[in-house]
Amino acid sequence: MSSTSTPVRESQLSTALARDRLGVAAVVFFVMSAAAPLTVVAGVVPTGLAVTGLTAISIAFLAVAVVLAVFSVGYVAMSRHIANAGAFYAYIARGVGRPFGVGGAWVALLAYNSFQFASYGGFGAIAAPQFAAWFGVELPWWGFALAGWALVAVLGVRDVAVNGKVLGTLLVAEIVLVVVFSVADLFTPDFAASSAPVNPSSLVGAGAGALLVMAVTGFVGFEQSVVFSEESRDPRRTVPRATYIAVALIAVLYAFSAWAMISAAGGKAVERAGAEGPELFFNLASDRLGSTALHLGHALFLTSLIAAMISFHNIIARYTFSLGREGVLPRAFGRTVPATGAPKNGSLAQSALGLIVILVYALAGWDPLVQLFFWGGTLGGIGVLLLITVTSAAVIGYFARNPSGEDAWHRIGAPVLGTALLLVVTYLALTNIAILFGVEPGATPTWAVPLAYAVLTLAGVGWALILRRSRPLVYNGIGMGARSAGAGLSFRDVTSEAHK
Amino acid sequence: MATSQLPLADDLYLAAHDSSRARCLLTPTTLGLGLGAALLGELVLWRRLEVQDNHLTVVDERPTADPPTSAVLEQLLRESHHRQVRDWISFLATGVATELVERRLARAGLVRREEKRGLLGTKVRFVPTDPSLTGWPGTRIRIAATRGELLDSPDLVLTGLVLATGLDQHVFVTLEARERDHLFDQLRRRLPAPLQYLVGHAEAAVGDAVMARRA
Repeated sequence: MSSTSTPVRESQLSTALARDRLGVAAVVFFVMSAAAPLTVVAGVVPTGLAVTGLTAISIAFLAVAVVLAVFSVGYVAMSRHIANAGAFYAYIARGVGRPFGVGGAWVALLAYNSFQFASYGGFGAIAAPQFAAWFGVELPWWGFALAGWALVAVLGVRDVAVNGKVLGTLLVAEIVLVVVFSVADLFTPDFAASSAPVNPSSLVGAGAGALLVMAVTGFVGFEQSVVFSEESRDPRRTVPRATYIAVALIAVLYAFSAWAMISAAGGKAVERAGAEGPELFFNLASDRLGSTALHLGHALFLTSLIAAMISFHNIIARYTFSLGREGVLPRAFGRTVPATGAPKNGSLAQSALGLIVILVYALAGWDPLVQLFFWGGTLGGIGVLLLITVTSAAVIGYFARNPSGEDAWHRIGAPVLGTALLLVVTYLALTNIAILFGVEPGATPTWAVPLAYAVLTLAGVGWALILRRSRPLVYNGIGMGARSAGAGLSFRDVTSEAHK
Repeated sequence: MATSQLPLADDLYLAAHDSSRARCLLTPTTLGLGLGAALLGELVLWRRLEVQDNHLTVVDERPTADPPTSAVLEQLLRESHHRQVRDWISFLATGVATELVERRLARAGLVRREEKRGLLGTKVRFVPTDPSLTGWPGTRIRIAATRGELLDSPDLVLTGLVLATGLDQHVFVTLEARERDHLFDQLRRRLPAPLQYLVGHAEAAVGDAVMARRA
């Protein structure tokens, strides 16, 4: 074999690996598609206005952005040192303890699944009147929800990534549309610059928790930036930069848009939201924009919901895959579809659950917009908030035991500050559930939601303790991804059942 | 031809291709990871490499009689500061391993280069010259499993890599539970430790690629 005659200065290995890697823009793109901007602005904000009667959503977006930015300092720093960076349970397992790690995994599965199911409700509720108006097709909401479900089920096993070129273009179109519509709001006749959406005192008043949870649901997806820790060009810079940029962009976009909407509604935002629902976003701007813009807006709203469905499906499939390959869930979940690299059984299981939920809502006749889309998103948002809070504490715990060469701000300063802020937000959230769900204090959701998460946490702790006794190798590998010393090979402790 | 055994990576390549339609059953990334680990496995079998946990050691610097493995060995010697197994599997998976293996198979006349001119440019792919060849590595392992026979080291590594890449969902789909258990048993007890580490790393690399959405 001939050898090179010129001395190779740079390592060819390092160069080859680096060429393959992602930059800040790619990661930001990915995070924002998971956040689904148009779904939040046209879906969550008006529905939230109607259900809670609260208008200070813009200041809530900005406040949550600050809290999440502080949280991200420690979170991203820790992500550099652990495997399985995309899953909260890995942080909790390494920083708090493996039992709570598994508890966190169950909580995460409920929370992300809630978001995914919620998008079926949103899609069905929006598509039904739209398709009737466009094509005269009269189908109940669940007909469209099932169509969306089928699409996601197929794309899930083909592992269509949300940051593919088509969906990337749609994301850009979504953001442009939100900006254009919001600017159009400024020129509506009823426009009266309102200070209500940005009133800081509403963050300490009654309902603060509800506002904060609604804001959190808008950011969910930002935590996925660390998935690319090992795949990014400059690990120390790419992921942190992308995370802060994404959080800032999301915050500014949502805050501006919500403010523009509420101001354009001329003091009647809550009533109009109650009457018009998600159409409020379109109706407010329709005065200034032609019908083409409106049709485009509705179409992008639907694609945004589909993007959210796919995004959360992929997140859940990977969570399940990760738990399967560690042995925390049956190893069958750690299998892929060879031709596409999709987490096979994780995807199929999530699709099965989604189908059940749609059918239950359809048969019970429950409302898809409030009871599936909004409640589902709220349930998910509370879960993710809990996870972020515990993860923030886990960061402190991890760096206390493994300084890992990070400085004091990353190890202690930001995590402690972030955890304190998050504890306040979580407390406010849990005490405001009645407002969030639009029910009387003491009604079922107010205790059912915390109870559900508490039960899942305890179940996780219990399962971990069982694993510790019956399968210590698996227990030691919890949260370690594939880097655990003993768990390198799945066929070490597997039977043929797992390899079907 | 039917009874001779090809080098490990060649066998994996053939096993990863559908004989009737000459298309790959794996994603390019997964194939690359599998072939990368296979080439490193060949170097271990050539007694040029030792593997312990995530660390490689070159124990014999002499080139092998075989171009692809010599090329990898040379690269290893050139980049002496990189000795993490996972780094090398990832590097080889960027297209290096697939290209080396395709060249070797082409030289042996087992695959041929096919150019397809389409609207978006010319696509080059390598197609097995004899469709029955692609099935042989898998068949060999299946026969051993069915008869309860023992596999030699290269075939054990091949079995491990078939499992690590998910290819078993095609290759071992006709095996019964008892036969599958026979294979797992051999992997557990008879695969030498360095090769076990290698297969484990391949499996981990494939899983990490899935998690990072680059599979």
